[in-house]
Amino acid sequence: MMRVSAEHSWLLWLLPLALLPLAVSSQRLTRVSSIAAGPLDGLSRAIGWSLRAAGFLAIGGLVVALSGPYRQGETITRTGIGAQVSILVDRSGSMNETFAGRQPSGAEESKAAASRRLLADFVGSRAHDQFAVTAFSTAPMLVVPMTDRHEAVRAAIAAIDRPGLDYTNVARGLAMALSQFGANAANVSRALLIVSDGAAVIDPRVQGALRAEFARIRPNLYWLFLRTKGSPSISDKPSGEDTPQAAPERHLDLFFKSLGTPYRAFEAEGAEAVADAIGQIERLERDPIPYTEQRPRRDLSRWAYGLSLIGLLALVAGKLAEADPSLRRRRGRVDASVVEPATSRLAA
Amino acid sequence: MNAASLVRRNLRDRRFQLLAGALALVALTFVARPLPLTRNGVEVLAVLDITGSMNVRDYAGADGKPVSRLETAKAALRDLVGALPCGSRVALALFTERRPFLLFAPIEVCADFAPLDGAIQAVDWRMAWEGDSRISAGLFRSVEMAADLGTDLVFVTDGQEAPPLPSTGGPAFDGKPGAVRGLIVGAGAYGLSPIPRYNDRGREIGFYGAGDVQQENRFGPPPADAESREGYNPRNAPFGASAATGTEHLSSVREPYLRTLAQATGLTYAHLDGPSGLPDALARAATPRPLPGSLDLRPLFGGIALALILAVFAAPLLGAGRFFIGKKV
Repeated sequence: MMRVSAEHSWLLWLLPLALLPLAVSSQRLTRVSSIAAGPLDGLSRAIGWSLRAAGFLAIGGLVVALSGPYRQGETITRTGIGAQVSILVDRSGSMNETFAGRQPSGAEESKAAASRRLLADFVGSRAHDQFAVTAFSTAPMLVVPMTDRHEAVRAAIAAIDRPGLDYTNVARGLAMALSQFGANAANVSRALLIVSDGAAVIDPRVQGALRAEFARIRPNLYWLFLRTKGSPSISDKPSGEDTPQAAPERHLDLFFKSLGTPYRAFEAEGAEAVADAIGQIERLERDPIPYTEQRPRRDLSRWAYGLSLIGLLALVAGKLAEADPSLRRRRGRVDASVVEPATSRLAA
Repeated sequence: MNAASLVRRNLRDRRFQLLAGALALVALTFVARPLPLTRNGVEVLAVLDITGSMNVRDYAGADGKPVSRLETAKAALRDLVGALPCGSRVALALFTERRPFLLFAPIEVCADFAPLDGAIQAVDWRMAWEGDSRISAGLFRSVEMAADLGTDLVFVTDGQEAPPLPSTGGPAFDGKPGAVRGLIVGAGAYGLSPIPRYNDRGREIGFYGAGDVQQENRFGPPPADAESREGYNPRNAPFGASAATGTEHLSSVREPYLRTLAQATGLTYAHLDGPSGLPDALARAATPRPLPGSLDLRPLFGGIALALILAVFAAPLLGAGRFFIGKKV
């Protein structure tokens, strides 16, 4: 449905002014001794009424035009290829070190800077992907809600190589990243992308709740594990006791595998490996996704000016064609009882 | 009398001239291009204090119910984002402990309004990573961050340092005052209110009592008046023998302290009176950034045209008609 609205709607209170031409004419007034002396003339009447209508149009059109009428913007839903991607970024302090576990120097790149660069390319490579960004360290932080505004998502990703915080509390981060998907659109391809350089123990009390959430939302889960050289891999079994505390990465991986949702872990030990993993994710997430397109509002004041222009043209033409019987009388060439020119008659 | 002389006479009619003028002006609205000009936008880093004292409910909402400082500050920021001219950009950071945490780099306020508004709305005290609230350290680092981003700064806080500052005062600002412009916004009422307390699951369990918080900072050297305190002993009780008392468990906006900080950093202080009022305060304090804009000339032409037409029709009514109508040739 088309919805029309005005920017300065209070100006529409001036609209009664458009009735002024019904009471007053723009034509010259001429005194005649007896209006009844002239016969009724259909053409004169028609011209008189059309001049009133023209005056109405000229004033009304301008008032409407000045009030700034527009047709409201619409949101149209279409279908494209893409996915809802909830990005969960580790902002703990160790992300600011290089893949070799050092402070970055010279040409070296920190893990955060590498993931910032590559994720920024990932966001916006396909027009209809939607992204949400969540950061976590000690507490989860909602950075940007699910949106298709890729500029905003890139602004959020631009912030991930700033100095990080203290700890890696992955459980609460996961819960918030899952909540970013929202309730609607169950048949949309959903992906949860975790970017972290470490793992932490997930409290067994929270595990149940997380499992339930994963089962409900069923996102494709990707873990981009930015492994520091020399630190244990996801698949490494610790030499001693195999507990979550001793090998959190391995046990987080086991937890993800046990969720029953499609899951892939990418272990990246350098920027190229990260780029490779992101390329793979991009290829895997190809499903139809409904996206909304915002149709901008349209200015309608041009039409109102047009109407006013038509009215004014008629008024000006009426003024140009005006005759003056009083003039003729004075010159004594015309008898006063002669019918006045049509335009001035009704105006009198 | 022929038609030509009649038209010539009509052309001299004042009311015809007015109508023709209006016609020309309305016709002009179809060809006039908008006038290009520059407007003043802002680029600003908004830093929001999310420490415990920001949970104090000392603002009144629209329905008269108490609203927390954080919620009011969020509403004020959302109001600010909505009021900024298109092309302005806003970055958001959270403050707790002693540093700001940047959530995102500057985002344009019109095209990306939805995510920006959503992100401000989602700010929660539960995002805090530590409980301390070292305002001056956080402010100085926020100034640095704004300088790094090349933006102005809006720092919203209630000014309550936790733990309290030592008697020697807080850290000194070592940047250049006034290099970064912007606002320190003091949130909170002037009277003392209790601070809500939450358990480790984030549920509210009452208020802080006098014994729950540090009332006096006893790190560093004792204050000058320590010798006059009861039970003072230079070695065993340099701060006096009795426990510190105070009102640190209650909170109000620490305006004098925030004004001092504003003076030290060259920022402007403004009190947050409610969910509106930030746009004006920021416009006065911020660096104007030229943005391309345009001025639509059509309302000007249309307005004059309307006045001319109304003059034509109203003249007979107002009696000024003599001039138009009764003019003899």
